[in-house]
Parts: sequence; structure tokens; C-alpha cells
Amino acid sequence: MPKIPVSNLVPGMKLAKPITAKNGMVMLGEGTEITDKWIERIADMDIANVFVEGPPIQTITREEALDSLNERFAQVEGKPYMSVIKKIVKVHIEGLYE
Amino acid sequence: MSNIDPKVLRYKVENINTLPTVPGVLKRLSAVIEKPRITLVEISAFISNDPALTTKVLKMVNSAIYGFPGRIASVSHATMLLGLNVIKGLLLGVSVFELMQKTMNGLYEHSLGCAIASRIIAQKKGVKEPEEVSVAGLLHDIGKVILALEYPKEYQAAMNEAQEKSISIFDAEKNQFNATHANVGSWLAEKWRFPRNLIDVIEYHHRPALSKNAPLETAVVHMADLLVRARGFGFAGENFVPEVNTIAYELLKLSESDIKDVLRELEDNMESAEDIS
Repeated sequence: MPKIPVSNLVPGMKLAKPITAKNGMVMLGEGTEITDKWIERIADMDIANVFVEGPPIQTITREEALDSLNERFAQVEGKPYMSVIKKIVKVHIEGLYE
Repeated sequence: MSNIDPKVLRYKVENINTLPTVPGVLKRLSAVIEKPRITLVEISAFISNDPALTTKVLKMVNSAIYGFPGRIASVSHATMLLGLNVIKGLLLGVSVFELMQKTMNGLYEHSLGCAIASRIIAQKKGVKEPEEVSVAGLLHDIGKVILALEYPKEYQAAMNEAQEKSISIFDAEKNQFNATHANVGSWLAEKWRFPRNLIDVIEYHHRPALSKNAPLETAVVHMADLLVRARGFGFAGENFVPEVNTIAYELLKLSESDIKDVLRELEDNMESAEDIS
């Protein structure tokens, strides 16, 4: 569920979270399909970002993500259970790029 | 090394309200939650009288941290659902969010991640009150905020030391203060009359085998803390994953798929959770 700036909205996207007014009132519900008209209205609402459906957008490359994983675990290599945990996290991170 | 007397430190922490840098909402809040016999109705009224606080509380209870189905629209409903201890913890959490971010860029994200991961693990382990464990996860590092408020220069020095020597912030705090954020957090939790199990979690999240009152809950938050760091969400004082406590790990006996579930849940919810502040 990526969070994107309103300016990046394109027709056909679906809202993954409702758009609410400051007082919590729901203006557009979850699952609403974005049209040109809605983009215009949302732009008038003084909202910075909205949540749309779809896989999360990764801000770093797969290689960078795996390198920093190795760095994070560098001090605990060989300690009990740490290799098991690292392996699961590694598979998880690789899964984000498929 | 350090010339700070732990007794003086504790005294200062317990009287944190006299500091001018403590935000007003936190002062008012602590005056309310320190009362020995505060009722749900009083707490509910306190929140409702503050529109900013109301919005924050409602955002929080409707977030992935608690995972309630449906929307909770009123403060009174929220307080009934969560109970006194969870509401107290949550109020403390929302009123220190900004301070967290000022103390350490990323501590807020780390704390939210821990709250989410703690709830998932607690549910998997059948803990009776997963929301309480979630609040414990949210507040486990509150001692860092308090130390940084009370001793900004010394805390910066501890953060620099952790960075330069690649040691944990926990050890760097010991060098600077003869005490750690875990001690500080637990003193405050005690003063604010949090339940014993929550105090234990805060005090022993780095050394979960020492918890007498809440070994399971403490192990849960210990593991949640570690998994959030392993995934690389937020920043809590050092950039490396600490060693897991084997006793806690064996107590939890999380399977590979349990851990995967926690990671997936974090992935799905971290972005929306950041919107809470």
C-alpha cells in the first residue's frame, strides 16, 4: 500500500485508505477508483499524500537493501539463532523486489 | 567516566515536570495519570477536552498498532475498548512522539514498528491482553526521550560514542549516566502507576531473562525490537542488530512462518502508521 503525493495520482488507481476531512469525516471511501474529477477535488482539499492500492514502492535498490542488511548483522554473525533470523529477513526483503 | 549519581538521576527523572522543555500536554497528562484512583470517565473527559489529543488518540486506536476491525469514532468507545492501562500508555505515547523524533531521528518509527510487531507476536503467543503488550512496545524506549530532555549534552555524547565506537546505545548510556534508558523508563512508569508487567517490559527489554513479573511479555517486546531493527525500520541509537537473548528466543519458540508474518505485517503497516503523529 504505497503512500503517494496527490500530484502523482492517475485515473484508475484505487484508494487503499479513505480520504478524511480534518474532523475525521470520510470524504472518499476505501476502494474508490480515482477519476480525473476526483483528482481535481482531492487537489482542492489541502491533503499532501494519499494511500493507493498496490505493492509498496521500494526507495532503494535490492542490492542496497541486502548490503545494509549484511551491515546490520555484521556484529552478530555466528551468534546463536542470529543466522536463522537473518535468513528469514533476507528472504522477506528479496520478496519485496519480485 | 560518568560523574552522574544514579540517585540524583532518578530524582530528576521523577521530577521531570519541573523542566521548562517538557511540553505542556505532557505536564497536564502526567498530573492526571499520576493520580492513584483515576477513572476511565475522568481520562475520557481529559482527552475529549483537548481536540488535538482527541484526533491523535482516535488515529492511533484506528491504526495497525491495535488492529481493531471497523472504525472507532469516539473517545469514550476507545477508552472502554482499551481499558485504563492501555489508554494511559497510549496517551503517553502520543504526547512524546514529537519529542521522540527530536531526540533521535527515527525513534518514533522504531517505536511504532515495535508496537505493531509486539501485538502480532503477543497474539501468536496467546497473551491475554495483546494491546497492553503493544503499548509496552510503543513505550519501551521512552527512557531515551527522558534522558535526552534532562541531559541533552550528555545524551548527545552517548549517541556520538555509540556511533564512533560501534557499541550499543545501551552501553554508551551506561558509560555516560551509570544507568540506561531501560532504568529511566521503568522509574517513570512506576511513578505514573503503570501495571507491574509494563514496568518489567520497559526495565528488562534488553535483558528479558531477568523479568520476574512478565517474562513472556518482556520476551515479546525484546523480539519485536530486534525484528524491527533487523528489517531496518527506524533508528534507535545504533545501526546494528543486537544479539537475541537465547532464553527469550526459546521461550517464544516462533516458527519461521511466525517471523515472516510479523515482517509482512510491518511492511504493510509502517507507512500508514507514520501518519499518526
